[in-house]
Amino acid sequence: MRPTWDIFCSVVDNYGDIGVTWRLARQLVAEHKVEVRLWVDDLGAFVRLCPEADTQATQQLLQGVEIRQWPAPWQPVEPADVVIEAFACQLPAAYVAAMAARPAKVLWLNLEYLSAEEWVEGCHGLPSLQSNGLQKFFFFPGFTAGSGGLLREPELLAQRQAFQADSAAREAFLCGIGVEPVAGARLISLFAYENKALAGWLDALAADSQPTQLLVPEGRILADLQTWLGDGPLPVGAAQQRGQLHIQVLPFIQQDQYDRLLWCCDLNAVRGEDSFVRAQWAGRPLLWHIYQQTENVHLEKLEAFLALYKEGLSPAASEALADFWRAWNNGEAMADSWQRLLGSWPEQAEHAEDWCLARASQTDLATTLVQFYLNWL
Amino acid sequence: MKTAQEMKANSVALIDGQPWLIQKAEFTKSGRNSAIVKMKLKNLLSGSSTETVYKADDKLEPVILDRVDVTYSYYSEPNYVFMDNEFNQYELNKDDLESVMPYIVDGMTDVCEAVFFEGKVVSVDLPTTIVRQITYTEGSARGDTSGKVMKPAKLSNGTEIKVADFCNIDDWIEIDTRTGEYKSRAKAPV
Repeated sequence: MRPTWDIFCSVVDNYGDIGVTWRLARQLVAEHKVEVRLWVDDLGAFVRLCPEADTQATQQLLQGVEIRQWPAPWQPVEPADVVIEAFACQLPAAYVAAMAARPAKVLWLNLEYLSAEEWVEGCHGLPSLQSNGLQKFFFFPGFTAGSGGLLREPELLAQRQAFQADSAAREAFLCGIGVEPVAGARLISLFAYENKALAGWLDALAADSQPTQLLVPEGRILADLQTWLGDGPLPVGAAQQRGQLHIQVLPFIQQDQYDRLLWCCDLNAVRGEDSFVRAQWAGRPLLWHIYQQTENVHLEKLEAFLALYKEGLSPAASEALADFWRAWNNGEAMADSWQRLLGSWPEQAEHAEDWCLARASQTDLATTLVQFYLNWL
Repeated sequence: MKTAQEMKANSVALIDGQPWLIQKAEFTKSGRNSAIVKMKLKNLLSGSSTETVYKADDKLEPVILDRVDVTYSYYSEPNYVFMDNEFNQYELNKDDLESVMPYIVDGMTDVCEAVFFEGKVVSVDLPTTIVRQITYTEGSARGDTSGKVMKPAKLSNGTEIKVADFCNIDDWIEIDTRTGEYKSRAKAPV
């Protein structure tokens, strides 16, 4: 009998919740030979990542994962051997009662948000004592060996390196998504929340001596882009040029295609959690738009990541990078820090690859979850 | 029921039929405006200790505890001895006092509360605000008088705390014992 896993995903906003859990579910099935049910309360969000999904189906098998619509009210089912509540979502009370009543014990995990803060290692893997006899633990993804690690498929880096070494594959991919590379242009992908800093950065790119091709998958940043262009709606496929800046809007693409887009680009502006991690596996410089929180808590989390990421950079490159990221996340002027970042570009590019390889030397999140389960047994 | 966030150090929660003294509770914002509370717990029946984590809004069952006003008397290895108005003495070791240890100093006059579970003293709570003396700090580096620039300082028992840049050695300061943070400069206790 293969172990059974239930992953619960409540889609709060955007695509981070479903993006991470869908990726995790597929990896558990493909590599660790476990049976996974992924409970999703918003199949409409899921279908954006997996267009073959049926938003009306209460149950469907996709890429080896059993996708279940999280019903309201909850309908009784036999709990799995391992239960993951992703991003601290609330399990149905009846399901928790069924877990407690199950003759074979259940491992209950709260898979938390990704953070580079020091306290993560001190909380990762700790129990959460329950009053119903259940054994629950907190599991924290992270960037250091003392955390649960990052989602990464075993062949990912080899695939990425082969792709980046194959200019024909790159061109074919870009052509496939309707992008015709501009000769001599640096290629940048842009995926971000609404951002007041965008206009200043675009001004700088438009005025630059080197052309830039900016690829913008559909998302929340489009309204700011449209405002800056001042030229009406921006449908998918729309292309515009301002000075040295060539802009093209891409459709919302699936995860595997998005990976390839990241691998193609010289710089990737990403947001939240899932695209942020994937950009690191691309081995290219990145710009992170962190999820905004009350009391500016997100800025502490940004600094915690920067403190880790900057290790090994020269002081000038380190300062340029940090200033660039801070400006982006504080809605401030970007032109100066962008120029300074460009001034240290070879170092930034080399560092991005080094960072990627160093993270890849750590155990990935799916494997640490499975190891945790096996140790717990 | 109370949320994990509402359960403070030196309170007791009944978990799976076992009384657990919360020796330490640290609140941390995790992601997307949610939060967790990391606790150090001591089982009041078995004496065993453990660390645990809760979502800030997880529900816990508080145990109503008896409390008696006490003052710190003296240290008699390995115990700290507190005394109530009727000269009853209560002995607690360092582990029992984890959350207040940074503020225990000889000669302190704060009126504390001894916390009892089933007739046995299990911990001591300090007042929310206490006054302590700085025994060491560097001089003001930036001449800041706003109170927003902070620097490290040491209390007589070695506890390090961040204080306003304008504070000096021998100054008395108010400390919030719930957060461990400096509040303001204070007059010397009479």
